[in-house]
Amino acid sequence: MFLFNYRYRLKCIFKDRQLMFWTFLFPILLAILFNLAFSNLSSTDNFVKVNVAVVQNQELDQNPAFTQAINGADDLFIVEYTTLVDADTLLKDNQIDGYIVFDPDLSLVVNQSGLKQTIIRGFLDDFEQSSATITTIITQNPTALDSGILAGISSRTEYLKAVSASQSNPDPVVNYFYALIAMTCLYGGFLGVKEVVAIQADLSAVGARINLAPTNKLTVFLSSMLAATTVQLLELLILLSFLVGVLGISFGNQLGYIALTCIVGSLTGVTFGACIGSIIKNNEGLKIGVLIGSTMTMSFLAGMMSADIKYIVMTKAPILSYLNPISLITDSFYTLYYYNTHTQFYTDILLLCGFILLFSAITYFVIRRQKYASL
Amino acid sequence: MQVYKAFFRIIQKNRGQILIYLVVFMVLALLLSGNYNPPQDTDFTKVKVNIAFINNDEDSQLVDGLKTYLDENANLVDLPDDTQKLQDALFFRQVEYILRVPAGFTQGLLSGQDVQLEKTTVPDSTSNVYMDLLINKYLNTVKTYTTYTPGLTQEDLTRYVANDLAEQSDVTMLSNGSHSIYAEKSSYYFNYLSYSLFAILILGVCSVMLVFNDTDLKRRNLCSPIRSANMNFQMILGNISFAFLTWLVLISASFVMYGSFMFTTTGLLLLLNSFVFTLAALSISYLIGNLVKSRGAMSAIANVFALGTSFLSGVFVPQELLGNNVLTMASFTPTYWYVKANNEITSAVNFNVDNLQSIFTSMVLVLAFGVAVLAVTLVLIKQRRVEG
Repeated sequence: MFLFNYRYRLKCIFKDRQLMFWTFLFPILLAILFNLAFSNLSSTDNFVKVNVAVVQNQELDQNPAFTQAINGADDLFIVEYTTLVDADTLLKDNQIDGYIVFDPDLSLVVNQSGLKQTIIRGFLDDFEQSSATITTIITQNPTALDSGILAGISSRTEYLKAVSASQSNPDPVVNYFYALIAMTCLYGGFLGVKEVVAIQADLSAVGARINLAPTNKLTVFLSSMLAATTVQLLELLILLSFLVGVLGISFGNQLGYIALTCIVGSLTGVTFGACIGSIIKNNEGLKIGVLIGSTMTMSFLAGMMSADIKYIVMTKAPILSYLNPISLITDSFYTLYYYNTHTQFYTDILLLCGFILLFSAITYFVIRRQKYASL
Repeated sequence: MQVYKAFFRIIQKNRGQILIYLVVFMVLALLLSGNYNPPQDTDFTKVKVNIAFINNDEDSQLVDGLKTYLDENANLVDLPDDTQKLQDALFFRQVEYILRVPAGFTQGLLSGQDVQLEKTTVPDSTSNVYMDLLINKYLNTVKTYTTYTPGLTQEDLTRYVANDLAEQSDVTMLSNGSHSIYAEKSSYYFNYLSYSLFAILILGVCSVMLVFNDTDLKRRNLCSPIRSANMNFQMILGNISFAFLTWLVLISASFVMYGSFMFTTTGLLLLLNSFVFTLAALSISYLIGNLVKSRGAMSAIANVFALGTSFLSGVFVPQELLGNNVLTMASFTPTYWYVKANNEITSAVNFNVDNLQSIFTSMVLVLAFGVAVLAVTLVLIKQRRVEG
């Protein structure tokens, strides 16, 4: 009976085209859209050399030290030398981020306040500040001039060494995809709802027929749920391989843990749906509405629409992220990708297991031993 | 006007789904009306990067001086010295640069040893380059002092350095003219509007078409004593009034939020642009309404279509952040041209022949989309009638 029911439930699920669209095709479509829209997002932070024009005039010729300094900073700037009029036109057309002119003091002309403009400004400040330093030192210690302060000040020491936070790049875009997978897991709830409807005598004709059969209802229900979980896992695996293989999203390389997260996530989704399906009686529309509404709210809080939300919840109201299965699943993938330890990961997985138990218990107590005087 | 009345009765019955998109839009609009005010570009203000400063060294005057200097040039974000908390903050860009002063740094620097600070950054980012520049500047100035004026006390040293580094060069800002603070906000508002508008029109028009295209019902309607031209006229009128009503409801919040700004040239152009887009969206909804066969398919298509065009065309992610191939794809949807026109309208400081021409070209293209799709739909309907 167990295998018989299992096989037929699989068939029923695969034949339900609408169900397959929402639980399977829709997440893949969203993943493609995310990828198209976000692929440039992380590279906008990347440093591109600042375009700057230097106005050629007499004052510039009298300051060879400046020309030398800016030519030395070729890792920061792409410099071109022009006339004042040309520099103005270039700036208006946004061909350059700003231009430098001696009139007669060193000054910068820009058309907006931005990080690139701030970098040019920082460089000019640096130049003027160095002159100030030299003046101060020479008034304090005139012999410094002989001991080569001019050469000394232009030789820079690197005082910074990079220490990476983790083995993975801090790329907030991956969080959107993790939240998407988490959403897919909970969309497995559609399958859970379908299975409960199919076994409850007051909800469907099939349910009425099954309740007549001389089989243990728990056995039948377990095999139904197993069928739903199988489908859900399969869909999740395809989505995951699509994300990794086709879209090139990084998940770190701890395959075993990722698989564990997928299994726990699928079970959470399916039992969540079953729980909703059993609590809400006789109203198909309301069941689906509650399922979609709660999934979307939880996805939002887990950062699927904006990654900042996840951070705000994490720091301001951490309890919300512990009570939110989607957030827990997202967080599991995030910790696997980004953290060096597994403490947080185990916390997430254990809490998810708690949710599975809770949902299953509710479902069990609602649907067991129901008798119908009439149907 | 039975057909016209029936049109709106069907819409009434389906209001649940439609209201969801209205609520989503209103929430978004409300979020946008928050306290965010874009900076006024009249004076140059330096951009401050968010950084975390962690000191494992003693509280020396030198470290203090560095911290004060960074406080003036960057935003110091207070974070606990906890690996995961720091990792989180960097990942979600709450800070872009974490600077750690290792133990013994002050002594090492003052005695001329090779010492280094530890930085954790977003690799290759612009903020990384800028912060490196600032921090190295400070420490190199300290080095210059310790090399050439030996015997300075820490107190004098930090004072001299602070004095030198207070020097600033002049910046002139070429003003582009003033910009209403509402301009940027309203561009978000009208861009998001396209998402809800599309979803609502597809759902509304489809739910009506599904009923009227039902074979049995259609046969019954054909033998009623109303001329088919009359019936079609009422249907068209129904569609247009539904679209017009949706447009009115969706733009209504903009008058509450932006007030008299909506009656400036910028505001009026935005309204005109959204109206033109409504016509194109209606025409596409009508095509979809004639293609779908079931209610399930209807909500799937409404979702995919509204989300898809919005993602590709720069509603959720600004167009300048999208790749070229994405934009090429998007240019085959009216949403792309609608968003493009919106962005041009709101970024223009004054309107001249050049930018007006570009804006109206986009509007004409949106309208052309509408006309083309309508033509296809009419051919399709004709074909079906011949076959039937």
